[in-house]
Amino acid sequence: MPPLYRWPAWGRQLLNATVIVGSVVLCLMALPLRLPGMTLLGIGPNWLLVWVVAWSVKRSIWHGAIAGLTLGLLQDSMSAAAPTHAVSLVLVGVLTARLQKQRFIQEDFISVALIVFGMAVVAETIVAVQFSIHSLRTPDSEAFLSLTEVWSHHQRVALASAILSSLWAPVAYFPLSHWWERMTFLEQRQAGGELR
Amino acid sequence: MMMYGLIRWWDRRKQFIVPSLLAVGTAVWIQQTEGTIVYELYQRLVGWFYPDSAQHEQLVDARVLELQERLVELESQNEALRELIHGSPAPETKQIFAPIIGRGADSWWQQVTLGRGSKEGLKEGYIVTAPGGLVGRVTSVTPHTSRVLLASDPTSRIGVVISRSRFVGFMRGQGSNRAVMEFFDKVPDVKVGDVVATSSFSRLFPPGTPVGRVESVNLNASPAPTAIVELSAPMNALEWAIVSPHEPLLEVDPEPAPTEAETEETTLDREL
Repeated sequence: MPPLYRWPAWGRQLLNATVIVGSVVLCLMALPLRLPGMTLLGIGPNWLLVWVVAWSVKRSIWHGAIAGLTLGLLQDSMSAAAPTHAVSLVLVGVLTARLQKQRFIQEDFISVALIVFGMAVVAETIVAVQFSIHSLRTPDSEAFLSLTEVWSHHQRVALASAILSSLWAPVAYFPLSHWWERMTFLEQRQAGGELR
Repeated sequence: MMMYGLIRWWDRRKQFIVPSLLAVGTAVWIQQTEGTIVYELYQRLVGWFYPDSAQHEQLVDARVLELQERLVELESQNEALRELIHGSPAPETKQIFAPIIGRGADSWWQQVTLGRGSKEGLKEGYIVTAPGGLVGRVTSVTPHTSRVLLASDPTSRIGVVISRSRFVGFMRGQGSNRAVMEFFDKVPDVKVGDVVATSSFSRLFPPGTPVGRVESVNLNASPAPTAIVELSAPMNALEWAIVSPHEPLLEVDPEPAPTEAETEETTLDREL
């Protein structure tokens, strides 16, 4: 097999698309799994959130939003569609892209874990707000959860999910970010070659 | 001129718009089909690590078998007695063993995924039990997997009864292994250790399924006395579950009786 930089552009793009779709599928498969050492209070890492952060960290706001929307809908399909997960993941994508980490911090390892920690808290808070709005708008006997239940559950979920997601974030982040860096490098190199 | 601008805009943006639409479109489609394709793939992947149901027979340990045999004996006695009283045997139910291949895909819902689906005869609304008692209810089915809403989920509302004193109420999950039972009576006869089972008021669950035990009682709770119920099925440690068919009674209220004028009209119609 020829080295990657000898590949035609369409071949590389196809490979890149395969990696993107494949990694999302892997994250989806990891969601219902609870492996020993990967749970806290019965809660596992939010792999889709880690993926959205990894994707958005070096991309534009629009890219982040679209990724959040797509993965949010996918998570809806795997658990429950009301309230939708798309809102929280879109916000995570947009905020992460807005941070423009690469302009301020070069270092990767801890800063990404920190971003994931913060975003997990943000995402769970958005879900809690969605549940609260639902419980305020429906009569008590039909609401999913009462207000007090929502916010006491939120404390546990936000903390557990933030800790686990940030600790496991590098597992998904490093291969992906390394791959995408290489892709951008090859593309720029090719663009430069064409100019010459 | 405008056309030209539009074409230029499209040329610049198509790299972004086409894949975005494709991604979101696929996601919407998967969401509309309730993740069928995702769960099927998951089942294929995880299925390797789970033995077949034939092997499972060997895995069930002797104690469970003994208890099941005793249960069959008691059930057949029960049926015979029922026949003596009512003259009609209770409908026979077919049970399906299913491995639990996954947990909830987010942290807000208490769900599990079973490795059996519509191809094995599972349907929405079927009841899931395990050694110990009630586990939950099937809420969606794909060809080879099904999703179960656990009794410990706060949105699970189950009509329950204290087996000893027959005081009724309803139960809401509290996550993990606990649930809160709210009584309809102001002064229920209940004490710690009482067995809780589903009541005949329950619409989604068959009456008489064991649920758990009363762990503590709060008679001063407002608006109604409550009891904390410890669910007897070990929700977090389950590997296999038993699914039994059940038709949920969704319409409990009888249809409003037609008024006199209406009945007259209909009879008239019929006469004409």
